Amino acid sequence: MTLSWKRINAILQKDWKDLWKNYFVSSIILLPIVMAVFYGRIMDPTIDLHYMIINLALASVTAFIQCAVIAEEKEKHTLRGLMLSPASVFEILIGKSLVTIILSVITIIVCAYLTGYNPTNIIMVVIALIISMVFYLGIGTILGLISRTIIEASFIIMPVIFLFGFGSVLMGLVEKYPSLSFVEYLPNIQLIEFAYKVEAGAGFGDLWSYLAVITAWAVVGIILSGIVYKKRQLDD
Amino acid sequence: MENIIEVKSLAKVFGNQAALEDVNFNVKKGEIIGFLGPSGSGKTTTIKILTGQLLQTSGDASVFGVKSSALNKGSYRQRIGVLSDNSGLYQRLSIEDNLKLYCDLYHVPRKRMDEVLDLVNLGNEKKKIVSKLSKGMTQRVLLARTLLHEPDLLFLDEPTSALDPANSQQIHEGLRRLNEKGTTIFLTTHDMSEAEALCNRVAFLHKGKIQLLDEPKALRRQFADGTVNVELKNGKVVSLPAGTEGADELYQYMSKNEVVSIHSNEPTLGDIFVQVTGKELLV
Repeated sequence: MTLSWKRINAILQKDWKDLWKNYFVSSIILLPIVMAVFYGRIMDPTIDLHYMIINLALASVTAFIQCAVIAEEKEKHTLRGLMLSPASVFEILIGKSLVTIILSVITIIVCAYLTGYNPTNIIMVVIALIISMVFYLGIGTILGLISRTIIEASFIIMPVIFLFGFGSVLMGLVEKYPSLSFVEYLPNIQLIEFAYKVEAGAGFGDLWSYLAVITAWAVVGIILSGIVYKKRQLDD
Repeated sequence: MENIIEVKSLAKVFGNQAALEDVNFNVKKGEIIGFLGPSGSGKTTTIKILTGQLLQTSGDASVFGVKSSALNKGSYRQRIGVLSDNSGLYQRLSIEDNLKLYCDLYHVPRKRMDEVLDLVNLGNEKKKIVSKLSKGMTQRVLLARTLLHEPDLLFLDEPTSALDPANSQQIHEGLRRLNEKGTTIFLTTHDMSEAEALCNRVAFLHKGKIQLLDEPKALRRQFADGTVNVELKNGKVVSLPAGTEGADELYQYMSKNEVVSIHSNEPTLGDIFVQVTGKELLV
């Protein structure tokens, strides 16, 4: 499989120009930043708080923007043009993910700066965040592909933002409702527990299981988004 | 000449509804073929199968020797251009930005943009934002985008439906020039004059079946009833039947020097369509 950087870059350039003229979608990056400003000033943030904002950034910026830009391509019939071009599924999906990745990275860095998050082992944290981002890109792609319009996309992404952005709230209910114990394995919860371990000085030997769970989510996200994309190539 | 498209016993069923039934045809290299039919006759379904957007229920379809199930490959996409009613442009971007994207997707030099924009008479409009364009201009930009990579085979689904006659004529001239350079064109339309002006052969599609497929001239010959209209000096126009009866009557008018003009009653493609299907060719 060969990838054409020219094609990927063309989609990136187009999305970059287009997104900044799309205030409805691009303004979503303000949500985690405003929360970071608010919480960063009023209290001394804990890991839970840092990761509430980081997970919110991943769910609202990464998943939502990816979902919205793909849903809009579908709604305006421009995705069909890309699908009928020589660009491969990988070139299109990578090209369409790059703007989301750039905005997500900027948002997370700004949020971490505003809340004063300075991880003990930055390399491990960055690895975990990159893998998490792949999962959120996958889920955003899937929801964007199954939405018919950008408005529909902004509705169906809401449970994702709630579950993964504020999912740590559900952890408090696990003791009372054991059936919710699956929540512990959600990628956002794994990321928080991973971050606690990192701050406690854990090495890779103690951290790999968290990375494995998040990676499993990411792999499932990529595979499903590829399957849904292939299905959407056909009008059946 | 080699067949670029080969279709045998093609059928497509959506639920209980047959969209295509036992469709058979070939398209030769360099040909312009027109599929004529009203909405829902199966024109767009045929294009979707031939461009890999839809899988047939049964039968065979191949383009450039590639089976329809494998038509989603990049090497095939590079050789075709598709303009359909569900083609879209990026509304917030300029014409130029829209075309730049496609130049890069098809690995075409960006100077080609100016050539295709001139072809559709939009050479001076490339900085315009797409959302500000009229429907006709949008259609011309879509056509320009489809022509950017000089495809070997062009699928055009109602290409001039949103255009005024002057722009339609300009597009027709552009398509003829493209065809002269060797591009094969598969056109669907409900506009008989467009089919007459462009197509080497036309197929009448009705209820998912090809009712007739031939050259427009041959179809007109086949369906000509032999009657003539005679305009007389007293201002009347009389229609004379074929055969000795009509010939005798014409002889009478001519011998009395009453004839101003004689016109053959050639059926139009629209007349033939009605005759064959019993239906008007409505949108």
